[in-house]
Amino acid sequence: MIQLVQVLLLGLMLGGVYALMASGLTLIFGVMRIVNIAHAAFILFAAYLAFWAFKIYHIDPMVSVLFTMPLMFFLGMGIYKLVFPRIGESRQFTSMTVLLTFSLALIVEGVMGFLYSGIYRSANPPYTTRALLLGPFYLPAAQLYATLLSLILLGVLFLFLRFTRTGRAIRATMQNRTAAQIVGVDVERISTLAFGIGMALAGASGSLVSFLFTFFPAKHWQWIGTLLALIVLGGMGSLSGSVVGAFLLAVVAAYLGHFYGPTWSPITFYLALFLILLIRPQGLFGKKLEA
Amino acid sequence: MPENPLTEEVLDAREEAYLRPAAKPTVDSRKFFLSSLLLVLALFPVLQIVSGQFNYWLHMLLFTFMNITMAASWNIIGGYTGYISLGHNVFSGMGGYVAGALLVFYGLSPFLTAPLAGAFAFLLGLLVGLITLRTRGSAFIIATIALVLLAKLGLDNLELLGGTNGVSLPLPPLPARVVKLPFYYGMLLTAVGAVYTSYRIRHSKFGLGLRAIAQDETKAEVAGIPTSQYKILAFAISAFFPGMAGALWAYYLTYLRPTIYFAVLGAAEVVLMTLLGGRGTVSGPVLGAALLVILNEFFVAKFGSTELNIAGTGLLMLLVLLFFPDGIVGTLRERRKLPRFLDWG
Repeated sequence: MIQLVQVLLLGLMLGGVYALMASGLTLIFGVMRIVNIAHAAFILFAAYLAFWAFKIYHIDPMVSVLFTMPLMFFLGMGIYKLVFPRIGESRQFTSMTVLLTFSLALIVEGVMGFLYSGIYRSANPPYTTRALLLGPFYLPAAQLYATLLSLILLGVLFLFLRFTRTGRAIRATMQNRTAAQIVGVDVERISTLAFGIGMALAGASGSLVSFLFTFFPAKHWQWIGTLLALIVLGGMGSLSGSVVGAFLLAVVAAYLGHFYGPTWSPITFYLALFLILLIRPQGLFGKKLEA
Repeated sequence: MPENPLTEEVLDAREEAYLRPAAKPTVDSRKFFLSSLLLVLALFPVLQIVSGQFNYWLHMLLFTFMNITMAASWNIIGGYTGYISLGHNVFSGMGGYVAGALLVFYGLSPFLTAPLAGAFAFLLGLLVGLITLRTRGSAFIIATIALVLLAKLGLDNLELLGGTNGVSLPLPPLPARVVKLPFYYGMLLTAVGAVYTSYRIRHSKFGLGLRAIAQDETKAEVAGIPTSQYKILAFAISAFFPGMAGALWAYYLTYLRPTIYFAVLGAAEVVLMTLLGGRGTVSGPVLGAALLVILNEFFVAKFGSTELNIAGTGLLMLLVLLFFPDGIVGTLRERRKLPRFLDWG
């Protein structure tokens, strides 16, 4: 019994980080209907930044959020301006954007592979080996801190979307792009901004990934599979859905890993994806999957 | 009269037919080109039998046939129908594993079981299509990525077939001088089959329906096209020939290994070939595959780095998408400068 609760806690502590990773992807899909296949590649890119900052300048990966986020924010806006306005409102929008982000993912992966080689990396600040004891349960410090920071960032995102003018404009664009435009929202500006924010969230996730997991350039394919499963489960474009989906699947994966061995735990996400598409294509909270 | 994008196409075609000169040229350059190309390819191995110096060329041609099969098949779902599959190498990989397993456990030659591997890929495509193509939009794309990852994860953990290490397959007992020949002809046949299927689909009512779906799925549905069935069938057909080619390719490489058969770069190259040649055209994928094989060979010989290869593939894809979205054949046709020997419909 104690062991089962322990596994639950471990799952929940990863769930926060998964939620942060998925939130950027969801935001980008929600506002622009772009499935950003390159999202995990950018997360890994930020993870490398955080890793080297730790290795060379001894900057704590948790603190590196302070520069990975703004850096990825501006990088994201630049990429959006450079790549996406060209396709506009074409009929083949879905297939075009997917192919574009797919090629971005390949470029980022290739550049990372060229610069950093395929060596497995992981930052090791002192708290990665520590654990807190809570009664009979132990909580690994790294996971705990990472999830707390994720939840704080998600909270800030929520407040921003809820209470600021720009945040309201973003939510309006997510609900109905055309209607938002009619009531005077500068949809193009909002899209650029949302892409930047989504990428900033990828930057923050990268800082956390740098000490939570071992990574190498090609790892992002596995991550994007996981993230896509999360956002499909949550209902694409629904932020709260992706958060719930993240916690749910993280816990299921933890149990699966506990009972059948860790090599099988990633299968949770892929199987979940097919199951959801089979049973409830609109996800837990979402509207129908159309783009 | 209802607005239908297809009527315009019919009218255009009619107008074009009226404007064409009345007298037909005595030799159809397209037929001439294609039959002489096939004849040269069919007779090429004679050089190898006589001199034994052409193994490298046989290998390059074989590899090109493999890629033509992949690109022409991908084009059926990704080009005609407009649904992007980002994991099409899952079908060649699974085809390889099915035929490889039959060889290892039952001693059945992949030359005989290749159609079986194709049928397996077809059924897999049908199953995945049934799950993901009932809805529109992004679900399908996401599922195709997940499918590759799932297949790799499953086979990595399948100890029966060597897990991550895979298993090695025995070569057919033939002297080195001619050992490549059965593979060469098998792959040539598969490629011809894939391209011919693509051509027949393009000129059928089914193909017209697929192109209508790519243009505007709602209108296609209103016009009475059973869109879901068409999409699912198109995906399954696009899986068949890759499954067959994968069976031959695995036997040719003499091993099965998940990391190599289910790499995303493989899927990306198929997409790039079709985009480069011209998405939705019959000859485009063939041209694109041949060009990319040459380009890759040059690139690897010059730089030899797989990381740069990945970045290069991505960059080329990005540039083609942004500045050359119709590909070579599509652009030439748009400007009415497509040479007749490349105009396969």
